Amino acid sequence: MASPKNGKIKLNVNDLQAKAHWLRQELFEMVMRQKKGHIPSCYSCTEIMVALYYGGVAKVTEGQPDDPERDRIIVSKGHAAMVQYPILADLGFYPKSELERFTEPGGLLGMYADFRIPGIEGISGSLGHGIGMGAGFAMAARQDGQDYRTFVILGDGECYEGSIWESAMFAAHRKLDNLIAIVDRNQLCILGRTEDLLELGDMEEKWRSFGWEAISIDGHSFDDLMPAFDRVGKTDGKPLAIIANTVKGKGISFMEGRSEWHNRMPSDEQIAQARTELGLGA
Amino acid sequence: MDAQPLPKLMRDAVIDTICDAARKDKDILFISADLGAAALDGLRADLPDQFIHAGISEQNMVDLASGLALSGKKVFLYAMAPFITARCYEQVKCVIASMNLPVTMIAVGVGLGYDHATLTHFTPEDIACMRALNGIEVLTPGDAEAAKEIAKVAIADPDFRYIRLDRQGQAPLYDGGFKAVYDQGFGHIVEGQQVAIVACGALVQKALRAQETLTKKGVDAGVIDLFRVKPINGEGLSKVLGGYDTVLTVEEQLLEGGMGSAVAEALIDHNVLKSMKRLGMRDGFEVVNGDRDTLHDLYGIDTPHIINAVLELAGKA
Repeated sequence: MASPKNGKIKLNVNDLQAKAHWLRQELFEMVMRQKKGHIPSCYSCTEIMVALYYGGVAKVTEGQPDDPERDRIIVSKGHAAMVQYPILADLGFYPKSELERFTEPGGLLGMYADFRIPGIEGISGSLGHGIGMGAGFAMAARQDGQDYRTFVILGDGECYEGSIWESAMFAAHRKLDNLIAIVDRNQLCILGRTEDLLELGDMEEKWRSFGWEAISIDGHSFDDLMPAFDRVGKTDGKPLAIIANTVKGKGISFMEGRSEWHNRMPSDEQIAQARTELGLGA
Repeated sequence: MDAQPLPKLMRDAVIDTICDAARKDKDILFISADLGAAALDGLRADLPDQFIHAGISEQNMVDLASGLALSGKKVFLYAMAPFITARCYEQVKCVIASMNLPVTMIAVGVGLGYDHATLTHFTPEDIACMRALNGIEVLTPGDAEAAKEIAKVAIADPDFRYIRLDRQGQAPLYDGGFKAVYDQGFGHIVEGQQVAIVACGALVQKALRAQETLTKKGVDAGVIDLFRVKPINGEGLSKVLGGYDTVLTVEEQLLEGGMGSAVAEALIDHNVLKSMKRLGMRDGFEVVNGDRDTLHDLYGIDTPHIINAVLELAGKA
């Protein structure tokens, strides 16, 4: 891993792509070992997380999960918080061997993120809490004169929760420009396509109408992600919403864009195919 | 007869206490979901950075509190009882209880306090639902002195607490003596031998009125103010109740899971098996326009009902 400079790790685009590839591999091994987890939800936000942690965006310090100056990162779509597990091990927050004990008795890492895991800021699993919790972190930073920022990764399906919008209104009123929401707009929830089930519509416009600066990007493109994150702190007192258009299950062809894979486990044949596509050995 | 001065409101006692502490501790934050109080005006004017209006958005209020508490803030949440409990129960369960965060929830108008507002503003289930939360302390002061002392504890020792306040001022119960019984979790306001009447909040006053009449009728009843429903002091309470012949509980709650249930559980757990009766609200309770006393009468929890229930328990009905 590249060593952090000024509390940030900054890889170039090629290395970021390699890191995303590595993260998908690690997640696949972790989940398939136990046959528990949510691969497609993690794969839609893989590049987002890699950009945050390794693209020089978030302030993180290797081996120091409690660094008071760290940026706070909350995966509010808690079923995908496991996307952080390989990264947090890579940062030396806990031994990599914990990935092999995922969901096992006595292991540190559970199906849903637990606030006792080093590097996890708060509990998640129930949807709709992350923006309010993040607004709390952002307000505390403001009051304490601290520079850390709070990044919250939301599912698009999660945005059905009314609490998201209560907190969105609040954050804008309080001018929390140290709060950043990244909406993983993969267009799917468990039962199908969001726009068919209950239309979410123009997410960018929705966030903007709540007083946020809002931009839409390709959430799998580092060429899109890095300039989007460059907007952080330059939003003239507005919190920033990045609508990241993504593909659920990105990286495993038969899972891509298919809602039925939310928490289904592949067959042995499908595992073999997925391993080939992910560049993993048999 | 001279008119009695109106008793101090519990909410003013609590807010004054928090406000005094907040002036010396900038980490104390007071969050309201659009509920005011006379005492709140000073805090809003003097400490604008420590007063947060969450919007009429209880879900936001609680989620926000979690982030603030995780950042080391001492957070006090304040709203009408029905909206700080059932309205945002999932938030409280998921982001406060699950992480056992030091957040103090202050509810105003518990039970039937918002009498004329009727059903949407009643909380006939708040004791049952809040005491079911993991790791919470449930406190229900009977007068402004108790409310103030409880607020002092919440400031000095921040923890996950639910403080339920009556909307209407209640006559003083303790005369400076609340501090001495705080650890005990209940006040043995009047000692007796035959029937122990256990109540909390506004109904302690009704129990006291009943006790006066019962004395004239030759029944030796006692009155207990159970101001800490969770964790209930089962050992202390069962010891005291064990000294009575029988027990009556009375509450402004549906009987399922309420204060009376908590007392019965404590007695069972300590193997004190007494003849016992619970007065409270029942499924399908009728809703009418009327003040709190009218409702108490309608629901069978007013002073005359307490008297009758005690006479029955004492074998004098």
